[in-house]
Order: sequence, then structure tokens, then C-alpha cells
Amino acid sequence: MEVLKEVCFLNPQRRVWRWRMINAMLFGVLGLAVVVCSTIGPAQISPLDVMVMLVRKLPWVGSMVPPGDWPESHETIIFQMRLARVVLAVLVGAGLASSGVVLQGLLQNPMADPYILGISSGAALGATAAMLFGLGMHTLGVFALPLTAFAGAVATAITVYNVARVGGRTPVSTLILAGIAVGSFLSAVTSYFMITSGQNIHQVVFWLMGGLAGRGWDHVLVLLPYIVAGLAVMLLNVRKLNVMLLGDEPAQHLGVDVERLKQVLLGAATLTAAAAVAVSGVIGFVGLIIPHAVRLVVGPDHRVLLPAATLAGAIFLTAADTLARVAAAPGEIPVGVITALCGGPFFIYLLRKKKEPGF
Amino acid sequence: MPFYLDVLGVECSYGAVKVIDGMAFSIKQGCFAGIIGPNGSGKSTLLRCISRALKPVRGTVLLEGESLYKMSPREAARKMAVVPQETAVNFPFTVEEIIMMGRSPHLGRFQAEGKRDYEITGRSMDLTNTRHLAGRQVTAISGGERQRVIIAKALAQEPELILLDEPTSHLDINQQVEILSLLQRMNREGGLTILAVFHDLNLAAQFCDLMILMQKGKAYRVGKPEDVLTVDSIKEVYGTRVLIKKHPVTGRPAVFLLTRREGEVPGKGRIHVVCGGGAGAAVLGLLAEHGFAVTAGVLNMGDIDWETAKFLELEMTEEAPFSDISDRSYRENMEMIQRADACVLVSIPFGRGNLKNLEAVSRACAWGKPVLLVEEREIGERDFTGGEATLMYNQLKEQGAVVLQGGAEVPEVLAGLLQARL
Repeated sequence: MEVLKEVCFLNPQRRVWRWRMINAMLFGVLGLAVVVCSTIGPAQISPLDVMVMLVRKLPWVGSMVPPGDWPESHETIIFQMRLARVVLAVLVGAGLASSGVVLQGLLQNPMADPYILGISSGAALGATAAMLFGLGMHTLGVFALPLTAFAGAVATAITVYNVARVGGRTPVSTLILAGIAVGSFLSAVTSYFMITSGQNIHQVVFWLMGGLAGRGWDHVLVLLPYIVAGLAVMLLNVRKLNVMLLGDEPAQHLGVDVERLKQVLLGAATLTAAAAVAVSGVIGFVGLIIPHAVRLVVGPDHRVLLPAATLAGAIFLTAADTLARVAAAPGEIPVGVITALCGGPFFIYLLRKKKEPGF
Repeated sequence: MPFYLDVLGVECSYGAVKVIDGMAFSIKQGCFAGIIGPNGSGKSTLLRCISRALKPVRGTVLLEGESLYKMSPREAARKMAVVPQETAVNFPFTVEEIIMMGRSPHLGRFQAEGKRDYEITGRSMDLTNTRHLAGRQVTAISGGERQRVIIAKALAQEPELILLDEPTSHLDINQQVEILSLLQRMNREGGLTILAVFHDLNLAAQFCDLMILMQKGKAYRVGKPEDVLTVDSIKEVYGTRVLIKKHPVTGRPAVFLLTRREGEVPGKGRIHVVCGGGAGAAVLGLLAEHGFAVTAGVLNMGDIDWETAKFLELEMTEEAPFSDISDRSYRENMEMIQRADACVLVSIPFGRGNLKNLEAVSRACAWGKPVLLVEEREIGERDFTGGEATLMYNQLKEQGAVVLQGGAEVPEVLAGLLQARL
């Protein structure tokens, strides 16, 4: 009996320590992934060189480290090309995974993902309009595509939220159904545009599958504030998010202002995901699979799940994007294809492995 | 003492349908109150209203004189906990984590659970007998266990008031009593005020100090269980006839359900049942249910057959408790037999005191009325007259009385006999 108690009862200190260990470990893996993925590519650059290059860029400590004997071009390749893309993958992966965690929790639905409110369809429509009809191309230049996509995504989310709102409440089921309905409608419009535009729709299809090819530091800078702000808001509400898993009314009975929390977190999750989609296109499965896989390991408590899944999403997409870059070199595979290829079977594995009801 | 919770003229609607229509009552601190009423009378809606999940269109609810709807969710959650009928948790939290969530209205945004929170969680587990489940996943325990966990979570909130919506409707009787006894203890020893919706009238009567009987969104009656649970109020609100007795142990009212009775069917026939003790109750009920006009006798007041006949509103010949059959009641009984189309004698024991009943039946035989003998036990086993009763009983058989082994087929056989006579 004594032994059983020991096993059953969470030791608060040990639990917090365990959470910190998990996140520290994931943080380390992410650092490693960034370095390793930056070394991979046509030009052979050693991981050690990359590490030294990175450390030299750090404030204070950077000046203490002597430069290595690598050619100037290597530094250009790393900083101008590969690193920008790796950092972008980190941000997009983190944004999609964190958004997925929050939406699954908020909607109390294990099948939820960042696109559940139809923002992928909205972004696709916006992006299609930019690509096929040159919407905003003259005034916005390279940013026309991300901005129209972002606008499409946000407008869709707002529409869905308002459609689902009944008498001052937004029931979860209505929200999900409204997301499906509006999303399907917008997808149909996008398809119609693609078929009737008479243009080469190869670019559109490529965008729809999601990828980071050709993106640079500009995109990183556009995306960064959204990811940072979104994550901050989400992390501030992790305890309430735990309580939300009991359902809307029980959460309210535990002192959560449910409608307000929904607004705040739907807003944060949507903006984060919309910003990610705007720069990368529709990358599927990251926001669905990563939260599940991480929950399986660390449990459903958002205080550890949210940071851990964010880091895991970043690691996963960094790796997937590197694969997308090199697997069919000199061509590129859209990274969305890679994530779906990994994600689909993994999801089936999760479903088959699960013996207890619920997630 | 001012009231703790005041429900003041509350009106609630789902769309255009008014579900709560001017509900008003008050309960004192430390009260165990129960809401009862038929399905659709608005019990759960009222509870949702008081739990702030639903805002009333009109009226308000005061908690210690302060409007419940003006409090912040956190403020309300520190005073009031809610236990729904059933809680579905889709995510694999452990039982302890779920119960710990009860502490969240007391914790700041960045505050980690402290020693005190663990102590309170532990105490809630002890009270609800869930400590052994602490490390189990809440998705992998039984419904009864889960309900106990949800109640533990509510207790961890350290509320002054706890609202429960049919908290035991998915549990077996043992668990029902366990949970309600726990609540009763919290109520009596911890001063917890309880307001619960009950489906089961008897459970409500057992545990509540105050009952609120609802009808069509209004309070039909509010008061002590014995004042609220009456034959008339149940008939009025539920539209069903019940028998209400004092619970032999607790003294609380106890409700017995009755099968539906269609009333006498004209032309079906009049039957006199000779019974006593408790041997005839089932036959009386059965015959009345089949629409026969039933009379009974001679019955000692207060015995089970007498109570049954009384309840079925049958005409009968009564005798004082524990008394022999007097000449007066014998004559009265004979008159009833005379008016009847047939006579039934159930498996009663015979002693000196009721031998006259047997005599009456043999007179019926002599008059040529059909006589049915329900013989669940041999006459020899229930003859306490030294053979006299056996003699008379066997004579009945010789005179053509029909013998049945049990009471169940009495209405059918009687119907056949009466049909044949027409």
C-alpha cells in the first residue's frame, strides 16, 4: 500500500523538475537541429564551423571567439540562405504546433488543428487571388502573397466566429461546423478561380501544398512578432486551458470567463497560424500530429504540453524542410508533402496503439 | 437569520420557449435542499441558472444578498461549486490532476499549487474515497468513480454552496447512498449548503431538509419533505397515483409506485374476495386492475389486506384489529357475497377467530355462486382449528369450487366462469 501511494502521488517538486528537463532537452535538440540542418546542402560546411559562426553572432560572448578558417562564401551561404530558411521553419513549426495544442484544448476536440476554423481555405483564396489576378502585386511587391493570404485567413476566422456566435455564446460544436462550412465554401471558390483563370496554376498548387522555398530573412521578420506575441498570450493562459478541457460549463464553474478566454485564445491561435500559413502556404499535419505525439509523452497538462509541443513542432518542421530541400535536389518537394507523408502513417499508428477511449 | 440563497422571480427561456416562469424560493445557510419535479419541469434549467451558466431573462439570484450575476467568475467559483449529471473528459488527466483543478479559482495566474492546495486535494480524496485512484487516468475509471472524482474536485474548491444536477442518476444504489451520505456529512459537519436536483423522490426525501417541487417552470410547493411529498401533490404534478408511507426507519416520507389502474369496467362483474392478513393483497390489486368491481372481507383494520383495499378504495367489511369476526361483520360480509357474481377465497390460515369466513364461502357455494379457491398452501398446513377448517374446506371442493394453485390466473378464470353463466 505504501509503495502504491509513492507511485500514485505526484510529487510537486519532482513534476516541475521533470517538466523543466523535458523542455530543456527539447531546446537542446532544437539547437542541434538548427546547426545540423544548416550544414546540409550542396556546399559542404562542417557543423563545427556553423556552430562557431553562430556563436560569433551572439552579443558579448561572440567577440571572444576567434573566426575559423572557412571561406567567406560559407558564411554567406549560412547566413543569407540556409539559416534564414531554418529559422523560418522553426517559427512556422512552432506556430502551427502551439496553435494546434491551443485549439485542441479550447475546442475540447482531439481532431482540432490550426486550420479548423477554415483559415487555410481563407489563406488559400487570398493567395490564389494574389497569384492569379496579381492582387496587391503592384503596391506590396514580394509581400503581396503573404499579406493577402494573411488577410484571407483572418477574415475567414472572424466570419466563422461570428457565424457560430449564438446569443452571446460560441458553442464548440457550432464553431467547428461553421469552420467546416465556411472552409468548404472558400475552397470551392478557390478551385473555381484556378480552373477558370486560364493561367498556369502550377504555382498555386505548389503554394497550397506548403513550402518554404525562396523565403528569406524578410519573411522571418514579418512572422516573428506574430509568433512571439501569440505564444506569449497562449503561455499566459495555460492553466485556464487545462480547466477548459473539462468542458465550457465546468470551466466556467471553476472561475474561468469562458467566452473571454475563447476570444483571447482563438485570436492568438488564429493569428499565429494565419501568419505561419501566410509565409509558408498550407503545411498540414504539423498542428495535428505534434500535439498528439507530445501529449502521449508528457501528458495533457498544458503547462508542459504547450512549450514542449511548440519546441517539437519547430524541430519537426526544421527536419522536414531540410528533407524537402535535399531529397529531390536540385528540385524541391513541398514540405507539406513531407509532413503529410510522415504524419498520416504516424497518426494511424497512434489510433491503432490507443487502447483506452479518449485521447 | 437572513437567507443564504434567494431565487427571486427568475424567468428563463430557450429561444421562445419559457422554461422557468417566475420561480422564487430561498434557502438558509447549511440547508440540504432538493429540487424535484417531472421531466421538463425545468429542474436542470433552474440549476443551470443558479450556476450562472444561463442568465435569466427576468429576476435574479442573490447569494448572501449579493447578485450572483454581478460577481466575477472567480469570485463565484470560490463560493459555489457545481457537479453536473455527467462529466466527459476526453483528455488523459490523472484523477489527482482533475481534483487539483478545483483549486484553480484560488490560484493566481502564475502561482503554482502549494502545500495547502495539496493538503486540500488530499482531504477531498479521503472524503470521497478516491485516494486509491489518484494516479489513474480519469478516462480509464468507471462512471461511479468518475462522479466521485468530480465531487472531490467540487469539494477542493472549498465552496460554501454546492449545486448538483442528479448527481447519482448513473450510479447503483450502494454508490448513491455513499455519495449522498458523504454530502450529508459535509452538510451537517462542514456547514456546506447543498442544492441538488433529484430524479428519485425517495432519495430526495431521505436526505433533504427542504424540498422544492417544480411544475411547469414554477415552484408548486416548497417545504419539508412530509409537506411536499403528499399523495395529492404527486397526483397533481406527476399525474400519477402513489402510496406515501412513513419510512419505517428514518420516519421520512417514502413513495411507493402503483401500477396504472383503469377503473371498474361496467359489466365485467362483481367479485367478493375473502381474505385477511396479507394473503389477498395481490389478488385484490390484480382484480381491480382488470376492471372487476371488487369487495373484500372480513378484514382486520390495519393489516396489509385492509390497507390494500383501503388504498384501492374498495368496499369492504372491517373488523377491529386482532379481533374475532363478530356477528355484525359476518352479516355485512354475507350481504356483500350476495351482491357479488362470484367469490374468491385466498390462501389464508384459519383459526377460531376467522372460521366464520369459511362458513360464509360455503354459503356462497350453496347459493350457486361460482367459487374460486386459491390454494398456494395445502389446507392442512394452515388449519389451526384442529381439523374443523379442513373439513369445511374439503366440502367446498365437493360442492364444485374451482381450485387454483396461484393467484395470477384468477382474473382470467373468473372472466371465463362468468362468461359461461351468461
